[in-house]
Amino acid sequence: MTVKTEDDAFEVIRSHRRGVLQSELRKMLDVDSRKCSRLVTKLIEDGRVERSDYRKDGVKTFLLRASRAPADPSLLLAGTELIPCVVCEHECVVEECPLLMDWMYQLAIEEIQE
Amino acid sequence: MVALTPIQEQPAIAAYLHRLIGDEGLLLIERFPDEGEFSDEDLAERTEINLNSVRHTLYTLYERRLAEYRRIKNNETGWLTYLWHLRLDNVPAALAEEMEAVLEKLRTRERFEEENDFYRCGQCGLLLTFNQAMDSDFCCPDCGAPMAHFDNDMLLLALRRRREAIAESLGHE
Repeated sequence: MTVKTEDDAFEVIRSHRRGVLQSELRKMLDVDSRKCSRLVTKLIEDGRVERSDYRKDGVKTFLLRASRAPADPSLLLAGTELIPCVVCEHECVVEECPLLMDWMYQLAIEEIQE
Repeated sequence: MVALTPIQEQPAIAAYLHRLIGDEGLLLIERFPDEGEFSDEDLAERTEINLNSVRHTLYTLYERRLAEYRRIKNNETGWLTYLWHLRLDNVPAALAEEMEAVLEKLRTRERFEEENDFYRCGQCGLLLTFNQAMDSDFCCPDCGAPMAHFDNDMLLLALRRRREAIAESLGHE
């Protein structure tokens, strides 16, 4: 049995988008429950994993999910231009919006420059 | 523009707040005391910003949960006082909500760009779909100049990439 690290545990948890049960994680990592619990506790302390109570066949376990990074607001920018849809007070006709068209041009220019 | 506090240092957040509350709103945030809660009149006096502007900014921020108030009642006069404090820690959540709405709009626009051929007036730049251009015999309805095919591939590609990046950032499958 190879030594399992927090990174190994995190990779397994992250690969399960809907989460993985702690009882299953232990089997996947091939470690005993004490070791598994220690790895999970460290990941929770580091904010990399979130844990919630879960009952499987009446037995209490935990559902583990990788913490998601907050959405990246810089994706609302084309260059330095904030997308016009944010806090927009115009009547929205998204197919014909000239402000959005200008933003899309800026986006395309940014892509060419990259 | 006023000097920036740490949360506003990210360009997207600064641009968002500026569009939301303008220069005077940013000034209010900048001058808002670090701790405690304050009435609008107190804030106007401390920050030297017009009272109406302070109120407008506070309500605009409140609508997006970026400011909160506590209401207290004077038992003698029955007057209500609203004591405000900022919740700029909610900016990422507010922006994530905006991004969800933006994602929907970009999907719609992407579909439109995919499903249509476009024609552009060489004179005034008016852009029409194939059907619209055909209705005017491929002459610009505004200035009469001939219209030529407009290749939107670059725009569509940039739009699609950004839409996908936003969806991924929001954790959509």
